[in-house]
Amino acid sequence: MHNPSSDCQRKVWSIFREMPILPLLIVSFLGAIAGVPYFCTVGNLRNYLLQSSDLLIISCGLTFVVLNGGIDFSITSILTLGSVAGAYVMALSPLAATPALSIPVAIAVMMGIGLLVGMVNGLAVTQLKMPSFVATLATQLVVGGLAVQFTSMVSATSSIAGLPEVFFVLGGEGRFFFVPILIAVAVWLFSWWLLERTLFGQWVYAIGVNPKASFISGLPVKRTIVGLMVLSGVCAGLASVIATARNGVGMSSLGDKMFLTTIASVIVGGTNTSGGHGGVMHTLLGVLFITLLNNALNLLGVGWYTMMIVLGGLILLSAMSTHLLNSRAGWTWKKGQASDV
Amino acid sequence: MSDTALRLAGVRKAFSGVPVLHGLDFALKKGEVLGVTGENGAGKSTLMNIIGGVLRMDAGTMTLFDEPYAPCSPAQATAKGIAFIHQELNLFTNLTVAENMFIDGFPTNRFGAIDHKKITSIAQQAIDRFSLPVTPATKVADLSTGIRQMVEISKALLKNARIIIFDEPTTSLSSREKNALFHTIGELQQRGISMIYISHILEDIFRLCDRITVLRDGRIAGTSPAAEISENELIKRMVGRELSQIFPSIEKTISDTVLLEARHLKWRQRVKDVSLKLRAGEIVGLYGLMGAGRTELAKVLFGVEQRDAGELILNHRLMAQVSPSACIGGNAAFITEDRRSEGLLMSKPVDDNLCLVKSADLTNRLGVVNVVERARHNREAIKDLQIRVVDPATQLVSSLSGGNQQKVVFGKWVMKDPKIFLLDEPTRGVDVGARFEIYSIIMDLAKRGSAVLFISSELQELMGVCDRILVMQEGRLTGEVPKAEFDQEKLLEMALPGPALT
Repeated sequence: MHNPSSDCQRKVWSIFREMPILPLLIVSFLGAIAGVPYFCTVGNLRNYLLQSSDLLIISCGLTFVVLNGGIDFSITSILTLGSVAGAYVMALSPLAATPALSIPVAIAVMMGIGLLVGMVNGLAVTQLKMPSFVATLATQLVVGGLAVQFTSMVSATSSIAGLPEVFFVLGGEGRFFFVPILIAVAVWLFSWWLLERTLFGQWVYAIGVNPKASFISGLPVKRTIVGLMVLSGVCAGLASVIATARNGVGMSSLGDKMFLTTIASVIVGGTNTSGGHGGVMHTLLGVLFITLLNNALNLLGVGWYTMMIVLGGLILLSAMSTHLLNSRAGWTWKKGQASDV
Repeated sequence: MSDTALRLAGVRKAFSGVPVLHGLDFALKKGEVLGVTGENGAGKSTLMNIIGGVLRMDAGTMTLFDEPYAPCSPAQATAKGIAFIHQELNLFTNLTVAENMFIDGFPTNRFGAIDHKKITSIAQQAIDRFSLPVTPATKVADLSTGIRQMVEISKALLKNARIIIFDEPTTSLSSREKNALFHTIGELQQRGISMIYISHILEDIFRLCDRITVLRDGRIAGTSPAAEISENELIKRMVGRELSQIFPSIEKTISDTVLLEARHLKWRQRVKDVSLKLRAGEIVGLYGLMGAGRTELAKVLFGVEQRDAGELILNHRLMAQVSPSACIGGNAAFITEDRRSEGLLMSKPVDDNLCLVKSADLTNRLGVVNVVERARHNREAIKDLQIRVVDPATQLVSSLSGGNQQKVVFGKWVMKDPKIFLLDEPTRGVDVGARFEIYSIIMDLAKRGSAVLFISSELQELMGVCDRILVMQEGRLTGEVPKAEFDQEKLLEMALPGPALT
């Protein structure tokens, strides 16, 4: 018996099951258009995409780590140190007089910091056998502390201003609003290609599900882990470039709010924290949803601390829904337990 | 009062619309040992989970000692006197024997603190009952599997179990531990405890059980007193057809080419100076008791564990560094004893598992996997090995039966066309029908010129499949027997530790 309409239904259901965030995103988007004043204006929608772009870049990197069953706390500190170090190169260093030189050097420094920290994280996890949350917590503290120290040494305030105007193009200044969006899309496409089409992506998933079986199957487990930690760091470095250009100054507080939104985007998007399931498609939806929430609540005049409560609740909810949707057996078992009480 | 301890009538269960049990009628008499057997997927686990309160039946009734019985949780089942000794033991290895016995309800003193004195004394009594070689303060991590099982049984008795269900209790026991377990089961029976004994191992079932119930495809395929049914008859009931022979026979030749040679391998205290050779076309059995070091030897051969000393030659090449990827490069494959934790990506589809090793060969310089080629190789493996799967791209490996899961593991390696196979318990958790297919796969590999090391705890299958059998005991090879001289007792004797051998 073949019934095309039920086939179609099943397909839609399987997409929703795989990405429960999708209907939520659609509904909240429609809700925001209908109920939030000034949401559906050209200016705000452009702003929405701009806000999404650096979050998408940093979240793509984190997705690799989470797919592997790990976590990277250091990304926010990379963002911060990158921001102040890059701003220093462009505004205060001897190179500052020649933007044509200082901008590329600054970008290289920012991404280089990401690469270096990512490498340290990767080696700490693979060679010293540290759990990623310990290793990256340590680098987060060290690098974050460095950023504040460095800022206080070179500047009287917590930020470094005086960046060259041209640099703001990377932040989407004026009619160049598409630049960061294009960069983010490129990063996302590259991440998607890595995960879905290359051997490296296959390894990331396999090691995330079962590192022992992967090792016995001859997969380069350590190399892959170092690679994805570096990827996460470099993405954070690139996000630092975009965010610094958008803010117009190097800030030692840049990363403060970023960690919560990044981790929320990845998890609410549906990538499983125990590794091996999810991907950057999920993360894209997660980023669009979290930014939407941020943007809409902002327009409604809701403060950051309320936002924190909402994000925390969402992370909890999505973790529960992934668990329930993924194990129907678990569901029936839970029902049995519940009626027992 | 009837003589029935537990009666099930018309029990039905379906998972997401797929019926697994089709109205079972089933009775356990007081004080009997009832053997339950059947192929994987026949519904044994589901049935036992219903009795144990883990799952709830969709329809039907259960009667426990003439009272209606419908447990909603494992805790309720325990309270009604049903104990479940699982295949994977449910003890906390980081706790002591006494703590484990009281894990679900510690007795407390006046101040609400745990009453350690009371725990220790009750645990000591329980231990004395079977004269176990432990103290209440021993950490479970330090105990062998056999002793752990005894601790579980003692724990069940502390809870006043009237019915004990054993689910494949001997899979990880040595034959000595197995004998001790059987002795205990006999004692329990004398005390009037009724038992359900689930196993694949027909020999054990015949030895132990009063009656034998066979499950097939969610139905009862017959219950008979053990004395009135033959092994062949039982197998016929299990598979629904007659197995003309348990082991396949294939004409093959053994060449003189040595594909794997190990010289004086040592690893910790587990592998002590082992040397062996595998020739092309040869199937070499490796027999030994649990803890004899067979799995460890295989892991050292494949570089999963780093040897402390010794040389390994694969395909005429002396291996400087032994690691899984180096061994794969040397044309070797390793099918691990524990396919769930070391062989498969359980939560991933069949396709993702099959191509895990081969993909590296199907990749261009940019690292892009050729998906068309990958799909072709996967389809070929599924066809060659007759893996029963509906949609390999979406169907999770965890949804397959044990035999089919094992075939996926074989497929993963066979695709790479290796010449050396290390097989560690390749038929564990595989039902009778699928075992024949696994044996055929192994024979076929040898016929095509591969060298096979076949590790098993079951002498019968080794004698049925291998060209010669090596015996390992406490980390050493203690014997080698060619096919013509296979003799169950002789092999067993070599495997048993004794003063004459040390």
